[in-house]
Amino acid sequence: MHKAAVIEVSKFARLTVVWLSIIFGAVWAASWLVGVALPAWIDQTFQPSEVAAAWSNTLRLLVPIVAVMVFIPINAMFMVLAERRALALFTVRKGPNRVGPDGLLQTAADAVKLLFKEDITPRGADAVMFTLAPILFFAPSIIGVLPLLAAVSNNHSLFSVANVPTGIFYVLAVSSIPVVGLVMGAWASNNKYSLVGGLRSAAQAISYEIPLVLSIITVCLMAGTLDVVQIANQQEAGLLAWNLLGGGAISKAAAAFASGSPAAAMALAAALLLAVSMILLFLIYITGACAEVNRIPFDLPEAESELVSGYNTEYSGIKFAIFFLAEFTNLFVVCTIATVMFLGGGHGPFPGLDKSLADWLGGFLGALPAGPVGWLFNSLIDPATLIAAFWVILKTYTLVIFAILVRATLPRFRIDQLMAFGWKRLIPLALILLIAVTFLKELV
Amino acid sequence: MSTELLKTSGLKTDEMIINMGPQHPATHGVLRLLLTLDGEFVKHCEPVIGHLHRAQEWQGQNRTWFQYQALIDRVDYLSGMFTSWALAKAAERIDGLKLPLRAEYMRVIVAEMNRISSHLLWLGTYLIDLGAMFGFPFYPFREREKLLDLFEAIAGQRMMFNYIRIGGVQREAPPGWFAKLKQFTQEFPDRVDEYEAIVTKNPIFLKRTKGVGILGKELAMEYGVTGPSLRAAGVNFDLRKFKPYSVYDQLDFEVPLGEGEGDTWDRYMCRVKEMRQSNEIIKQCLAKIPGGTSEELRERRRQCNSCGKDDCPNCGGDLRIMVKKQNAGLRIKAGEGFDAVESPRGILGCYIVSTGGDTAYRFKWRNPSFSNLSVLPALLVGHPIADIMAIFGSLDVILPDVDR
Amino acid sequence: MSEQQAPGKPAEVELEPGQFGQFLAEHGIPSRRLSDSSGVETIELEGKHLEQAVKRLRNSPETKLDFLVAVSGVEAADTFDSVYHLWSYSNQSELVIKVRVPKSDVPAGHLPMVPSIAPFWKAADWHERETYDLVGIRYVGHPYLRRILNPWDWEGHPLRRDYRQPVDALNDKSPGSFR
Repeated sequence: MHKAAVIEVSKFARLTVVWLSIIFGAVWAASWLVGVALPAWIDQTFQPSEVAAAWSNTLRLLVPIVAVMVFIPINAMFMVLAERRALALFTVRKGPNRVGPDGLLQTAADAVKLLFKEDITPRGADAVMFTLAPILFFAPSIIGVLPLLAAVSNNHSLFSVANVPTGIFYVLAVSSIPVVGLVMGAWASNNKYSLVGGLRSAAQAISYEIPLVLSIITVCLMAGTLDVVQIANQQEAGLLAWNLLGGGAISKAAAAFASGSPAAAMALAAALLLAVSMILLFLIYITGACAEVNRIPFDLPEAESELVSGYNTEYSGIKFAIFFLAEFTNLFVVCTIATVMFLGGGHGPFPGLDKSLADWLGGFLGALPAGPVGWLFNSLIDPATLIAAFWVILKTYTLVIFAILVRATLPRFRIDQLMAFGWKRLIPLALILLIAVTFLKELV
Repeated sequence: MSTELLKTSGLKTDEMIINMGPQHPATHGVLRLLLTLDGEFVKHCEPVIGHLHRAQEWQGQNRTWFQYQALIDRVDYLSGMFTSWALAKAAERIDGLKLPLRAEYMRVIVAEMNRISSHLLWLGTYLIDLGAMFGFPFYPFREREKLLDLFEAIAGQRMMFNYIRIGGVQREAPPGWFAKLKQFTQEFPDRVDEYEAIVTKNPIFLKRTKGVGILGKELAMEYGVTGPSLRAAGVNFDLRKFKPYSVYDQLDFEVPLGEGEGDTWDRYMCRVKEMRQSNEIIKQCLAKIPGGTSEELRERRRQCNSCGKDDCPNCGGDLRIMVKKQNAGLRIKAGEGFDAVESPRGILGCYIVSTGGDTAYRFKWRNPSFSNLSVLPALLVGHPIADIMAIFGSLDVILPDVDR
Repeated sequence: MSEQQAPGKPAEVELEPGQFGQFLAEHGIPSRRLSDSSGVETIELEGKHLEQAVKRLRNSPETKLDFLVAVSGVEAADTFDSVYHLWSYSNQSELVIKVRVPKSDVPAGHLPMVPSIAPFWKAADWHERETYDLVGIRYVGHPYLRRILNPWDWEGHPLRRDYRQPVDALNDKSPGSFR
């Protein structure tokens, strides 16, 4: 390996670590401020009274919203930068490296630039729709991630309000709204390229939502619940318990096989088949998700070499920035869904590892001297949540990097090939797997 | 297909007229296509060209021969060697000049290098056309950069070389140039293997190119299409073999032909094979060039103290690189003539009418891109929008070459 | 630009018809041989025979001149020449055909007229449009004879010898100007 390549990779790693600490430090600090510090201060200053309790409870309720609102812009900035740097890595270039140390602040500068650009509404455009479209495109990605927040933070008390019993159902329902905003913006732009892009995106979203939802439904079927927190917690016992490998079926069947029960061989075969089906379903999910968030090779709605820029051709300034923001947030959301549904959420690949890590961290925190410092650290850091957050971040951003790698490699489909691939390959396969998993689950 | 369904069901659909270009990101410059679309499918297409018209012919008639040689590289900026060569060749044909062998070999070497660099840039941009947006396209540019460095060393310019002149080539290669080029020719086949590994069998790439934009023999010949686009249709028409000029008859190479019926994939394959072929040609030239490398020649000339006499065995004869004096008073005999070279895009010809003055009386350029582009409307009809760029890109049209 | 003497004085001596001249004569198409263009047979045809001759040369198995390289227009001393370079995809023969319209035959304010071969040979389509645009030869029967390189509202034909460029007035005042 070239020395220059090693340097570039290490620069990329450093950039990632710095940005991730900024993002999650900011999110956690904001949540702590709103959910712990402020209520505590209110409770202390105003003696326990009904009004004070109501105020602090309201603040606690607001925590998930605050966390998401802080998270989304910073995260999008990081993802744009990471995408550009990673693409540069994959294509023997350097990437943006001038603004700030090593190009660290490039996207912050870009964001400022976009904010100061003139916001143009083209002549003949439907101004109301034109303005509403980016909002409608962006809003679902804020509301949609709320239940996931509970799942990825190990159902931390600050975020558990956001959990709903039919969590994944809610997430999927919300995540299909953005396409309406897309078509709206495309139609309102009064531009033919935009219109074609919008029509394409509608067709594409409808086609690829089906295999995507089918694969998620299969997971729910296996887990027996729609609650994302429960689904995540069911995958607690290490790699084999992840839904990707059949949600613990293998270890169960292997135990039965070891104990020598008569139907064990059959059960073991079924468990292995189940694992294979789930891996296939995961791939279907990834494909559908790529299409859902308009990533290469499914970026037909904004195919640059054909449609200039598709639905956002006419957008500029802040509206364009919102489209951009939402696109990257959507990518992050689908990767988080994959993490929670298939990759064990906030649980590590080895059983017991998380527990011992959390114990060690808890012991460390407990050993801190009492007083303001100890209180600060103990109220700031919850060991189990920290470990869970670490795993989620690792898994999710690995998927994001994978999406970038795909973008760096593949050309684009043609619209009819895309449709044929969706309807003739993915949907039948997903249906077959759904039925297969139903039966295999009973056989284990 | 939904369009047929609509037709049979008696529902009326509207056509949409779209102006693709001249500021569209994928039209390789400033081509404007007036498209009539039925849904996503092209019903009619009219290319509107001329946005980049710089009146190269008019300028040629108003500038001296010496000035015009420097200007003409700009016609096809990706293969400037070939435009210079076509001009030089036509002028030499009228003038009846016979070139020394070393000059001819130098011309072949730089021209084949230029062919490789042009095809490399085509490969990169073609993948962008297909939507491989930020990924693969930069790999060919890595090799192209090395070639451009070599061009810079020998001609002083990376793109507008002005290296091939009427009556020879501009200058001798600097020391070390041949060694660098040799190293490049040894590495290059591996690099092409790399591109092929990532592109040739990529299922999406195959889906996008196989059976798309079929430019058959008859159609190609009707429109006067030349170059790899024609050879991909299976017509064995390469000027280097067909009417061997320069020293091509002393070199051993095969003309790559398309395997299928001339679809987009065949054109891609043809160009990739041509890159390998050009590499082989350069290798042969490096082995055969009279006088050897520039260091060897310098060593030989030390014996005669670089006398520069025509009958000197070290300086004259076939070891010269220029036979016509290059200065502002450069003149070509009265007469007229047409001559052409095989450029990366096809037959690049120049028709000159000279009256013996210090400027030409009439220039007419026969540009391969001009004829290759004229076939585009016939290819596009019935294809979806997405295929427009796949087909247009595969013709390897350079807009300055079309508009002059 | 130095004012040059225009080329194209036809040779005084009648030349023997070459290979293609004889071929055309056999098929009853009169042609006249001009002095060779750098060793390539050059014949002059009358406009009315052009279509017939080109079709014959293109399709006959003996000649097979099926590659139209270029159509050029040249304003010679007292004629407008439309020059056709014919090659073959299958053999090595070359031929230059010239159709000459005497300037005296062109009324003032009109363009010289040459029959178009674009209706049956697509390769000539754009080349004839270009020649119309730049040299101002009207190809009669062309399906879409419009300006191609210049804008549609351009005035004049730039490669005519009497063409004055719109910015000439500016350039003439500059002492550093070449013209």
